Amino acid sequence: MNGIKILVVDDEENIRFLFKEELEEEGYQVELASNGFEAIDKVKGTKFDVIVMDIKMPGMDGIQALNEIKNMIKEQPVILCSAYGEFKQDFSSWISDAYVVKSADTGELKQTIKNILNI
Amino acid sequence: MNPVELLGNIIEVSHSNLEITSRIKAVLSTMSQGMDFDEAIVFTSDQDKRLTCKFKNPKSTLYKILDRYRCYIGEGIIGSVAQKRIPQYYNNKNIPPRFGCLFYPELDSLVEKYKAFAFLPLSDDSYIYGVLVLCSSGRRFITDAEKILLSIISREIGGVLRINDLLLSSKKRIGELATLSELGKILSSNAEPQALLKDIGLIIAKSLNALFVTIKLDHVFLRAEPQRYTYGILDQPIENYVNELEQEALRQKKTVSLRNHGQAEDDISSKYSLYATPIMSKNRILGTITICGGRSQRDYAFEENSRYLINTFANYIANGLENTLLNTKLKDVIKDLNNAQKRIINQEKFKSLGEMTANIAHEIKNPLVVIGGFTKRLAKKMHMNQTESRYIDIITNEVLRLESILNDVLNYVKDTPVPDETCNMNDCIDEVLYLFSSDTTWDHMRILKMYDKNLPSVPCDIQQIKQVFINIIINAHEAMNGEGTITINTEKTIMDNKQFVVVSIADTGGGINPSVIDNIFNPFFTTKERGTGLGLAISNKIILNHDGKIEIENVVGKGATFFVYLPVKNHTNREELL
Ligand SMILES: Nc1ncnc2c1ncn2[C@@H]1O[C@H](COP(=O)(O)OP(=O)(O)OP(=O)(O)O)[C@@H](O)[C@H]1O
Ligand SMILES: [Mg+2]
Ligand SMILES: [Mg+2]
Repeated sequence: MNGIKILVVDDEENIRFLFKEELEEEGYQVELASNGFEAIDKVKGTKFDVIVMDIKMPGMDGIQALNEIKNMIKEQPVILCSAYGEFKQDFSSWISDAYVVKSADTGELKQTIKNILNI
Repeated sequence: MNPVELLGNIIEVSHSNLEITSRIKAVLSTMSQGMDFDEAIVFTSDQDKRLTCKFKNPKSTLYKILDRYRCYIGEGIIGSVAQKRIPQYYNNKNIPPRFGCLFYPELDSLVEKYKAFAFLPLSDDSYIYGVLVLCSSGRRFITDAEKILLSIISREIGGVLRINDLLLSSKKRIGELATLSELGKILSSNAEPQALLKDIGLIIAKSLNALFVTIKLDHVFLRAEPQRYTYGILDQPIENYVNELEQEALRQKKTVSLRNHGQAEDDISSKYSLYATPIMSKNRILGTITICGGRSQRDYAFEENSRYLINTFANYIANGLENTLLNTKLKDVIKDLNNAQKRIINQEKFKSLGEMTANIAHEIKNPLVVIGGFTKRLAKKMHMNQTESRYIDIITNEVLRLESILNDVLNYVKDTPVPDETCNMNDCIDEVLYLFSSDTTWDHMRILKMYDKNLPSVPCDIQQIKQVFINIIINAHEAMNGEGTITINTEKTIMDNKQFVVVSIADTGGGINPSVIDNIFNPFFTTKERGTGLGLAISNKIILNHDGKIEIENVVGKGATFFVYLPVKNHTNREELL
């Protein structure tokens, strides 16, 4: 797990904090961004193995950020993680590599990351 | 007759209780006898600055000729006396031919027998009422003393004419006031505009003795077709003249009549007098009112009166109408407001279901995730006894339970089976369109409905289906920037041996950009600054859940048509299962 970098993008500080702790515990290196602009800035400077992206954020939202990032780095894996449960399938088949409904149980998120990383 | 006695007689009749015309005739008769005048004729001045032969002594013969022409003030001897208000005296040697006026060709032969002439102004200090014309065959001249006597008598006649004028005008005013007060009563009543205009027409027609009165209201004002209300009979070919005159009145923004309107060569203008005036309030044109009077030979009064009255009426009507319509509008608005309030709440609910979901998700779900997430972390980090870990378990489980309740709320398009109840899509669309009926951004939208009257009902969740149509119709409205035509067509069709109802919604909004058309059903895909991009995604999901489908026909540059297919029979219904 050493050296695997994950970017968590969410506008809620406590969510960022929760994901950071949970993912660091798994051995990942975690960086944080609080909206789409910050995320793009980070992606420009660092190569991330996975990006976990919230959808509804002020400034630039997750869908826009995702599109821009995919335009910059075509093969960049992105997991959308939002409160909407409705469009799970639409999202995964449309633009993002996976879609996870935000939950207090971070098991699904962790498993999805592993799937993408093939570990 | 001695002058004092004569004057006494004259004053007696002129102050008598006789009717005005009789009084003047009596004065003329008395003075012509008493002072040996064969002719004693009174011209009165009309509002159009012309002099009309009005009264005469019984013996008068010149009257017949003088009566034929109305001379202008300033024209000939008679006209110049009226203008200068100075008496003129002539004898048979110096009297100008035809009294200085070209229009009395036969006059000279008749005048030959007269030797003395007097032309006296009938005026008071401020106003000229007419001219008194006197001719005598028996006397050669008029003495200075007689001139004084004549000036006193002419003043006396002027006084009677003045009283006559006042009387007539006050009668007229009283009539007008009565009319206006009647109009006022009607206008301040809460009658519907239609009834109101009918009454107005009647009152005006009666007060002016008009053949017909027609009021045309502008469509801008009524937000409908232009409407005409006529009292009396308005038929062809007069109607053409009325239409033309109305246009002219609107163009000039003032009263116009057929006469000064132009060259009406045919007999219309000689048979009728038409007046049209714009009904304007605060520079807004509400319509026109046109009055038609028969043109009787001598009805100059109608012309003069109408011009003034029609203006007054128009002002009155304008104010009244504005009030009445405001009133009616107000009532409507109040009535609508209650409905609209309900509708807006509905509409908002439908329109922003996507946004609402997003908000709920963030307002409740995020904190919930945080609480639950950290509770779990707490449990991991702490060494707890049995009781403590039971507490922690309770919190975690309750959070997860709340989360799943919330997920149910958020997934409002549930994969629940479509209910058994059936709905008619024609009614469904009508109910949806009703939501927009009080929305002013829909004022320039045209909705064409082409319903199949025999449309079968379909099993559906009516609230969800309504939401689909709302989304599609709002998209159409947005694509056309609120201006264009939405054509809604319903029909039945067969696909794969199954019966379907198809609702198509076509707009004239220029169509969908081909580069984005593959994405429009994707959640959060939007090309709008303030769109959430959920409308079609949700709609698609709803229709798929109903075993139907949405298809698009897109003509770039023209518009898009959305076809919503719904099965008439639920394919997984009991019959098939049995
Ligand atoms: N009738 C139409 N004409 C042209 N483009 C359309 C039409 N209907 C939809 N679109 C395109 O499809 C996109 C997605 O529509 P959709 O209803 O899903 O989202 P939206 O209207 O942008 O936002 P909202 O969530 O407020 O409905 C629109 O942004 C628009 O570009
Ligand atoms: Mg967010
Ligand atoms: Mg929409």
